Amino acid sequence: MDQLLILALDASNFILAIILVAMGLVIIFGLMNVINMAHGEFFLLGAYTVVMVESAGGHFWLGLLLAPLFVGLVGVVLEELVIRHVYHRFLDTILATWGLSIFIKQAVVLIFGPASLTVTTPITATVEIVGAPYPVYRLFIMGVSLAVIALTFWLFFRTRFGLTARGVIANRNMASCLGINTRRLDRMTFAFGAALAGLAGAVMAPIMSVDPQMGLGFLVPAFLAILVGGAGHLAGTLMGAAVIGGADTVAANLWSSVVAQIVVFSMAIVAIRLFPRGIAGAWLKQ
Amino acid sequence: MTAWSQASLRHAAPALAVGTVLLLAPLQLGGYQTGQLAQYLTYGIFAMSLALVWGQGGLLCFGQAVFFGIGAYAMSVTTLDMLPGIGTLGSTWLGLVAAIALPALFANLLGRFLFYGRGLQGAYFGIVTLSIAVIAERIAVNWKWIGGLNGLMNVPPLNLGLTGDGYEIWGNLPVYYVTLAVAALVYAGLQALIGSRYGTVIRAVRDAEERTGYFGYDTAGVKLTVFTLGAALAGLAGALFVTQFYFASPPLIGFTLSTEVLIWVALGGRGYPLAAFLGAILVKYAEAKLFEFVGAYWLLALGALCVLSVIWFPRGLIGEAIYRFEGWSRATPEQAQ
Repeated sequence: MDQLLILALDASNFILAIILVAMGLVIIFGLMNVINMAHGEFFLLGAYTVVMVESAGGHFWLGLLLAPLFVGLVGVVLEELVIRHVYHRFLDTILATWGLSIFIKQAVVLIFGPASLTVTTPITATVEIVGAPYPVYRLFIMGVSLAVIALTFWLFFRTRFGLTARGVIANRNMASCLGINTRRLDRMTFAFGAALAGLAGAVMAPIMSVDPQMGLGFLVPAFLAILVGGAGHLAGTLMGAAVIGGADTVAANLWSSVVAQIVVFSMAIVAIRLFPRGIAGAWLKQ
Repeated sequence: MTAWSQASLRHAAPALAVGTVLLLAPLQLGGYQTGQLAQYLTYGIFAMSLALVWGQGGLLCFGQAVFFGIGAYAMSVTTLDMLPGIGTLGSTWLGLVAAIALPALFANLLGRFLFYGRGLQGAYFGIVTLSIAVIAERIAVNWKWIGGLNGLMNVPPLNLGLTGDGYEIWGNLPVYYVTLAVAALVYAGLQALIGSRYGTVIRAVRDAEERTGYFGYDTAGVKLTVFTLGAALAGLAGALFVTQFYFASPPLIGFTLSTEVLIWVALGGRGYPLAAFLGAILVKYAEAKLFEFVGAYWLLALGALCVLSVIWFPRGLIGEAIYRFEGWSRATPEQAQ
């Protein structure tokens, strides 16, 4: 029973981490129809912002605060320079953002070197959960993820911005005809998505080794979570992340992390093929 | 010359020019460089396979290296006599058959699963193939029989004998010309396919799948054929590569090479096999030439170039040139009249 509880805690931890990365991704995908392959690198930039702040003598918390702002700014610039030119060419957005991803990753290698760096863990305390010590910082990450989920849902379902945004998702032309500035909305969406990725990178940095490859490890599970859940719904991403993260944790416990990845990715592919509109899509249709 | 042969000559002019340059290239290059160029030719064949799948078929495949890798491993396992029960039959020929058939079979089964029924649309296909590339690399790294992380070493070169003890194609020049001949054959085959009626159907499925379906074409079947054929060609390229490189390892099957080939083809031009072929060769050549001077800035430049090319030259840098040349050579006869 205790072991089950720890397993559930590990699973929630991984699930919430995936959600943290996937939220920005699904907002950009759902609203702008852009597959952002550079999302992993936005995550990376968030983590390196903390590294920069710490090496300049600042505290971790300052880095955590600055990371979403900085990466959001990068998002605005890249949207203006690159993304807006390829909106109307759907598959090309994948390529353009893939080029961006190589560029950003290599820029990080040039500035910080390819070796992995570490970020000080700001909270070193542990709490006892069913007799085993559990790092408080992991609980903090889960809290941040829950806060991000709440913020995103509030933003999309309780504010005027959210109403406009959902209008654009439903019918871009009609929304534009009704006087909504879709151009401004796109820019804000991309910046918001990028900022979320930056926040995710910053908050995860203390428990990961910060190196230029760290973004990719989360990108694929996040994409699969979105597709398994159903790209059309925010709630779908939560379900998808729960399925992917939960299955991965259980499989890793039963066998090994390698087998878990192979099994979960394969399962996800089958699920995407059987439910192209995702779990949420299949569920809401009934 | 008749008007028709003039037109077809102009049409083939870029390919003939490239072919001539490649035929004469060893005269200028040293032995080592010729060997390198032979390796780039296999990458060129690989790039042409993606140009078929992506440029013609519209299937943005993020896992084309899976088929290249299966081809490379199939060739290695066969010629290293690792297959139980075939005795000394593990020849180059059997290796080639396996290296073409296995990727094609895998692509066919995968395609049957992905294209039929409700089917997967554009970006979904990309992400699914991306995941498959990650899975394939994981499996290759952890599969002891095919060498795991260390891969398979001492893969023999091409051998013309039926049982693996005949004439060996060895040395930079013979290997180069054999590879060039295969590349030319693949190119000619692809051009024939693209120019045929079926080629038009393939592009119709790419541009308007639903409408083509209404005309009575089995659009999923067309996509399946293109995907399978592309995988077979990628497998062939992988097999040729490994007989020159003598070493099959997990990076050949994974994510990194899959995205590399995507960049060669994007920069070269996905619409023309020739452009994709040259894209691969030129990017690899520039990488070898420039890496010692610019080092890590090379990848930075490549990423930036990829972005700029997608924005301003969606046909690719070489593809744009070929496109303009074709437009120019089409326009001349009328202007002359």
